[in-house]
Amino acid sequence: MAEVVAAFGVPHTPFYPALVKREGPQSETAQFYARLKADLVRLRPDVIVEFSTDHLNTFFFESLPIFAMGVADSFQGPIDEPPEVPLYDVPSRPDFAAHLRAACVAEGFDVALSQKFAVDHSFIVPLHMLVPEMSVPVIPVFVSGHVPPLPSARRCFELGRTIGEAVASWPENLRVVMMGSGSFSLDVFGPLMAPGRSDGVPDPAWAERICALMEDGSADTLLEEATPARFAKAGNVSGEVLNWIAMLGAVGGRPASYLLPQLAQGHAYGLWEGR
Amino acid sequence: MSVYEVNYLCRELLRDKAFREAMRTDPAAALAGRDLTAEEREALLAGDVGKLYRMGVNAFLMGYLPRFQACGLTLETYNERMRAEAGRTPELAGAH
Repeated sequence: MAEVVAAFGVPHTPFYPALVKREGPQSETAQFYARLKADLVRLRPDVIVEFSTDHLNTFFFESLPIFAMGVADSFQGPIDEPPEVPLYDVPSRPDFAAHLRAACVAEGFDVALSQKFAVDHSFIVPLHMLVPEMSVPVIPVFVSGHVPPLPSARRCFELGRTIGEAVASWPENLRVVMMGSGSFSLDVFGPLMAPGRSDGVPDPAWAERICALMEDGSADTLLEEATPARFAKAGNVSGEVLNWIAMLGAVGGRPASYLLPQLAQGHAYGLWEGR
Repeated sequence: MSVYEVNYLCRELLRDKAFREAMRTDPAAALAGRDLTAEEREALLAGDVGKLYRMGVNAFLMGYLPRFQACGLTLETYNERMRAEAGRTPELAGAH
């Protein structure tokens, strides 16, 4: 029987690979990724289910799914050229992905199907930082987090819960890691960016609040507070917390094993381990 | 409504290097064949990203304009014009 062995929360800031290369292993960002990487190696995942938000590269306004799942032997990325990140071929598990998606549809989640696709930095930067050898199959779950109206936080949490439960009904012994990626407060090229910059963190207090709620396992409160009105104040990509919330649903909303906040950047790094 | 087309050509800056170069050196010519309303074309050529934002164009995608110096935009001018929109609601909010 497959089991969820842990869940990871991680940012996917496109310039972090270049920053880490430039500033070296002692930089805070490098240290935080390194801690997660050590835990991921220790946990020996057979499959990673990764929730992230495409930046209008995989999907565009021809058709924009609220939720979609990649069901393919492999996929490529990143296709949006973040500096210092090579184009990877990422292995996947279409049989297991199809099982997870079928469980979602059976539970009322109309998850779109994508069998041929490439992904952008939102999926690849975490993998580049944590499993650069791309030795672990990855199943991408696309969650709409940028283009309103967004799915509700509760809906995303329940989607994650459904996927977590579906893992347990897969007969093969697989160690599955859930991964949620994105920022809590961040505006990229929108009206809330900082003067002179291309981005900004307009609501660090919200990022801090999210961290506190995740640390003490107050998922219900988080779901109540993660509203469209809050996202409007927290920046145009702050809906990416929905990826963390879906990941959190897959582990039942329990407290984080640890959380490493990077509030000035509007996000954090975290691990949920054990039952 | 061709807000779609503005969004599309912003992303095209990332993907089509010849178009990217044309939008930097001769944006009027680069946009000549595009299916834009007169208002959109004018706003693009003026680098009026605030107006485009109010029309419902995606801000993240418009970031490719200053990134590739399209339509005379720099990070500085883009930043000033977009920050002036803080607190305003796009006219087509929800439609894009």
